[in-house]
Amino acid sequence: MTLGLTFELAVFGSFIALLIVMGFLLYYFAVDYKRNLLGEVSSALPKKESNTVLSRMKRELSFSAFMMDDSKSIGIRYLITSLVLFFIAGLAGIGMRISLWFPVPSFLTPVQYNILLTAHGTLMLYGWATGSILGMAYYLLPSSVKLKNDSFGVVSSIMYWMFLVGSLFIIFSKSTATWYFYYPLVDQLTAIGGGQYSFATLIGVMLILIATTVSSVIFLRMIFFDRDPSIRLSNMSLFAWSVVSTAFLIIASAPVSIIANGFLIYDNINPIFFQAGNGSALGYAIMFWYWGHPLVYVAVIPAFGLIYEMLPRFTGTKIYSYKSGVLSLLMLMILSGTVWGHHLFNSGLGTVWDLIFSTTSFIVAVPSAISVFNWIATMWVGRVKLTVPMMFIINGIIDFIIGGVSGVMLADVGANQLIHGTYAVTSHFHFIFLGLTTGVAFAAIYVLFPTLSGGRNYNVPMAKVHFYLSTIGTIVMSGFWLVGGFAGMPRRVAGYFGIFQTYQDAAAVGGVILGIGFLIFLINFLYSAYKPVETNTSNILEEEVTS
Amino acid sequence: MKKLENKTKAEVVWIVAVLTILVWAAVSNAAYLHDNSSSIANPVGGNPQGVVINVTGYQWAWTFTYPNGTSSIDNLSLKAGTTYTLVITSKDVIHDLYIPEFGVNVYAVAGHTNQITFTPTKAGTYIFECVEYCGEYHYEMRGTVTVT
Repeated sequence: MTLGLTFELAVFGSFIALLIVMGFLLYYFAVDYKRNLLGEVSSALPKKESNTVLSRMKRELSFSAFMMDDSKSIGIRYLITSLVLFFIAGLAGIGMRISLWFPVPSFLTPVQYNILLTAHGTLMLYGWATGSILGMAYYLLPSSVKLKNDSFGVVSSIMYWMFLVGSLFIIFSKSTATWYFYYPLVDQLTAIGGGQYSFATLIGVMLILIATTVSSVIFLRMIFFDRDPSIRLSNMSLFAWSVVSTAFLIIASAPVSIIANGFLIYDNINPIFFQAGNGSALGYAIMFWYWGHPLVYVAVIPAFGLIYEMLPRFTGTKIYSYKSGVLSLLMLMILSGTVWGHHLFNSGLGTVWDLIFSTTSFIVAVPSAISVFNWIATMWVGRVKLTVPMMFIINGIIDFIIGGVSGVMLADVGANQLIHGTYAVTSHFHFIFLGLTTGVAFAAIYVLFPTLSGGRNYNVPMAKVHFYLSTIGTIVMSGFWLVGGFAGMPRRVAGYFGIFQTYQDAAAVGGVILGIGFLIFLINFLYSAYKPVETNTSNILEEEVTS
Repeated sequence: MKKLENKTKAEVVWIVAVLTILVWAAVSNAAYLHDNSSSIANPVGGNPQGVVINVTGYQWAWTFTYPNGTSSIDNLSLKAGTTYTLVITSKDVIHDLYIPEFGVNVYAVAGHTNQITFTPTKAGTYIFECVEYCGEYHYEMRGTVTVT
């Protein structure tokens, strides 16, 4: 009998040990940092009050945030973590693209490919999309609602650690069940099935979902109860409205997925919930998509809010119609909860349910269209200043239109028979996630850069190279996927029929271009953060609350 | 600062254009479903039309059992002009039979049987694939349809 100390276990253990050591070091830095920020007088205040003061200030990116629990610090924690997870998951994506250069698995074995496939999907959705949204909301809400009472520090902090542990579980469990975790595959605990430790990924996802749900409740509390009286609901920022919409959506649907994941874990021990043999394997699919579809809106709605906030600043005008913006965000909240069945058209839901879900999927295009026209009208009326964030926003709107139109095509039951499970679907959501969710998040990071870096400017030519490479990469990769998907190219495969090689190779080139683009962002970010201070720390998204 | 000339007119044009497209899409979708309900995936029920072929997916191959009792693995033989109904199920995890040429795309679920009806018209050799991720050799769960 061997000791059973695998390489992965050793890496995991060292990582945890390193975290503990870092924790002790950080604690001492954080005490000084907090005193410097607040001054001697305020740092003697009770914690709740000093947290409120802290969360109303403009703040730099600092690892001391990990030892402080005001809203802005929690936001900074999530921003750092989600960026790291974005680059890990992106690396997995590039690995997959390179491996798909040849029709036969070459660079990666099928099992390795499937591990990367699962890690890429799960980390991008739960780590990057959800994490960056939590980060933006924690970071921006205190200034946009002029928070007058920051009272949930400890809870937010615990939720953050749960989020981090969940992400580590996802990374190290090497699950091969994809982010759907369809039963019974996920409970085949072998390397060739769902992965030996796929239950650990389920636990990781549950931790992240609990963190997300509790944070949503905290956001609603901030917005509806701890808002400054000078801000009425009728003039609250559209970003805050988008957080309202997202939070309600999460609270209404995430618990179902938490329960379903719990059932899956229990089914490992005693299969009673989704046991194959009485057809209820589809029961998990239904519970999963009841959350899985709202999740993609959770990833999109805050990006809408950020566009609504940034667009007017770069066009020198007000948003074309504030009311239709709020209407669109609230309609998205309600309607996006009703469309999940369109992922299961060909599972045998029956014609009537197919008709209902495809019709609701057409209807959900209406609020999205309202928002898109609102942005176009704002740009039309104003004078567009083509800064780097604005370029990302315009590209995000264009990509959202492409992805949205292909989404409406997918909502058609007949067309869905032809392209379900192909790269057309992958193309549809990569246009939206890369163009809109990721593009707008990076636009916001560029906008916040002077503040986050404590008074530095990013290198504009490098940022433009990042923009052009990532945009061209997205369009090449997702464009060829779309064409290949309509020709019948299946997604989630480690190898493929030789007839699809042209599309796959073109997509691989696009993926590598995309990767280089984000690498340039990383270089720019690190290089610019250590330049001498050259500018003031103000930005257009947050203002220091002084009242 | 420019003004959006004729604000109301622009808004009406947008609303009408978008709604027209979406209503057209929804209605044509409903009409298609009404006329072709047997050519989309449905739970087994009623009288299946034409020749019934039983399909079983398992990790990682497809078995096709024809009415005369013979069966084939990863190769489906059909005759042009004949109507077929595939009755699809799975032995283990969820699979999805996808024949791009005929618009066939049906989940194979253990303990649950779906059916789909189609009529091949042109002779030739076409591909089919599994498009629901099902484990290590998911990508090799594919084959050819021969129409004579």
